[in-house]
Amino acid sequence: MSLSRSPSPRPGGGWASPGLNSPHLDGSGRSSPAKGYRGNGAAGSNTVTWESAKAKSEGVNGYPSFSTQNNGFFKRHLRTFSNSLPRFDMGMGPEKSYAEKEKLGRGRWNGRRMARLRNFVGRISRKTRLRLLAILAVIIMIILFYQTPNQGGGVMEWKGAREWAIERDSVRNKRKYANRWGYELEIVDMSTKKRYAHEWRESWEKVDTIRNCLRKYPDAEWFWWMDLNTFVMEPSYSLQSHIFNNLAANTYRDINEYNPLNITHPFASPHLDEDARSPNGDGKASSINLIIPQDCSGFNLGSFFIKRSAWTDRLLDVWWDPVGYEQKHMEWEHKEQDAMEFLYINQPWIRPHTAFIPQRKINSFPPGACSENGEDTRIHYNEKDRDFVVNMAGCEWGRDCWGEMYNYRELSNFLNRNLWELFKEELVAPAWFKLTGHKVKL
Amino acid sequence: MHLAIPSRKSSNPPPYANRSSRYSMLRRSRVQAIAITVCAVGAILFLVSHLFGGGERIPSGTPPVVIVTVVDEDNYSKDYIKNIKDNRIEYAKKHGYTTFFPTIKDYDLGGSPTSWARVPAVRHALTKFPYTTFVWYLDQNSLIMNPDLTVESHITNPKTLESLMIKDQSIVPPDSVIKTFSHLKGDKVDMVVTQDKEGLAQGSFIVRRGDWSKFFLDTWFDPLYRSYNFQKADTHALEHIVQWHPTILSKLVLIPQRTMNSYAKGSNTDESGAYKDGDFVIRFHGCESSGRDCAAEADPFSKQWRTVFHSR
Repeated sequence: MSLSRSPSPRPGGGWASPGLNSPHLDGSGRSSPAKGYRGNGAAGSNTVTWESAKAKSEGVNGYPSFSTQNNGFFKRHLRTFSNSLPRFDMGMGPEKSYAEKEKLGRGRWNGRRMARLRNFVGRISRKTRLRLLAILAVIIMIILFYQTPNQGGGVMEWKGAREWAIERDSVRNKRKYANRWGYELEIVDMSTKKRYAHEWRESWEKVDTIRNCLRKYPDAEWFWWMDLNTFVMEPSYSLQSHIFNNLAANTYRDINEYNPLNITHPFASPHLDEDARSPNGDGKASSINLIIPQDCSGFNLGSFFIKRSAWTDRLLDVWWDPVGYEQKHMEWEHKEQDAMEFLYINQPWIRPHTAFIPQRKINSFPPGACSENGEDTRIHYNEKDRDFVVNMAGCEWGRDCWGEMYNYRELSNFLNRNLWELFKEELVAPAWFKLTGHKVKL
Repeated sequence: MHLAIPSRKSSNPPPYANRSSRYSMLRRSRVQAIAITVCAVGAILFLVSHLFGGGERIPSGTPPVVIVTVVDEDNYSKDYIKNIKDNRIEYAKKHGYTTFFPTIKDYDLGGSPTSWARVPAVRHALTKFPYTTFVWYLDQNSLIMNPDLTVESHITNPKTLESLMIKDQSIVPPDSVIKTFSHLKGDKVDMVVTQDKEGLAQGSFIVRRGDWSKFFLDTWFDPLYRSYNFQKADTHALEHIVQWHPTILSKLVLIPQRTMNSYAKGSNTDESGAYKDGDFVIRFHGCESSGRDCAAEADPFSKQWRTVFHSR
């Protein structure tokens, strides 16, 4: 029997995954994973085939296949609709006596409450599950220089009042900022994530979203990804004046400048080209295609820039790869972020086009994040310096996202008061207080 | 008509003197201005062409093709290796190409199979010959048999390539749903490879210099592929990336096997891939496996290529 040796896409969809049955398990010692991963029974219960994985996941989510979920409003809500439609009970059930036919209510709205309840229960379990699975919502801003652009915010499918408030504030904040400077905003609901050919692919949606945006805004040059828990503190900064007008000075290419991951840089291997061996690539600002901030533990993709280019297409293409994923998905806690670090560390073509930006330029942390070593001027927000953006990274793990968001929103408003507000609050109110002894809110 | 008295001078003399000659001061200054303008425009054109014209300048004397062969000096005899090298060197000399013979030990493969060495070797060639357009990787156990064919006219010329390319062909022969592109322009191709009975045959492939090739080679050489237990190491890794990443597939073209990768007798091949006289290249595919002897298989052909090369 001839078996495919590499995990290649198969006619039936999906892909054979040879590495899933570890060669160590069948004890033959052969280095090849070729035998036994496609239903020849040799590998026994350890064999996880694409088919079995698919069947399993079908059992879990109750959908016949990945392709039928969430594809269209009517399909999504079909059950909701049909459950709430009036039911006509024709009394044909065996438990009903013939006489009951004459009862009131026959053939009228019946069981509607029951249907609703059933529907509600059905939905709750699905959504709770989704809530557990869903990644935090995300926002992408797309920047079209010299044109009118901007986009993005995220939505969780199951939201309490706080989540709604966070989302509302975050999106409003970005929308205002984008409108002010003529950028485009694309809001992405990460909970309605696509079902992938391989369902493990969660959290790489970021990549697909960016790719879709590249297509949707063909004139945009730079794309700015922002997580839901970010807040633009200084809407008066334009991205041009804040970063792009002087890109070379605002970014650094040599990771040794701040290197929390201790990445060896540059490459030493003599077989690589000059740019790949140079700590600064070719040193030109025009070759920068990706701008990433680094926090205390490495790359942070909560807020980063990516530029339209052939290089970007290639990166987005190889960012997720089944072989890499298979070997590393247990290890890569931050999924696409770890994958990016891995690419940066191992693939020399990445480095000459990647630049880093001091974190506080676009991604300041509140004191609660990266707090192990106390306050760090490299990482944490400082209102005196009027940092541009705050990213409440990790607030969903035991911190109060909404509280932080609220505080930063108020702080931002306070810092950016207009003249009239300043006049009222700094002159009139104190004067009034002196005269009458009463504090007054104007 | 003759007048007795010459006509009187005008009582209103012109406010300025008559031109003394055709080459007046005005003219002279205009000539100067024209000369200066011409020089300035010339200088600007020169600068502009230097700054933007055609990107980089290819120094004269740059070979258009580098032939790369990774040699394994530990497992093969000196004579055999020398024969292989001579074959490439003589062919290269005929057409102004150059050769590059790294050894397996030159690269840190991190313990993965030695066949992986070809990937960094090609990357190395791109670094070493930064202006050379094509890098042709040819496996050690193969010989160039037809010295008259040049890489450009035989393969990489866009027109030729368009006529050679196999369109809509499964990457892994029997059942892969991923097929080669059916619309691909010859000058957009960055990688030329052939296919044998089992799949992609990376014993002989051509890569065009550029950012794409660096991306492609680095992706291929990813440590996760090297550690993955692909049954045929780099071959299957190549098949994998070609099938999973459209940015790679879209630059790759398959050409008929015998164009640059004919197999010798005894190799696992069918009629379409078997070597016939006049073919460009013969490969002793699989001769490194036990029970076969590369040097012995290559021996008759070694004599043949020498006579053919020297007769022309």
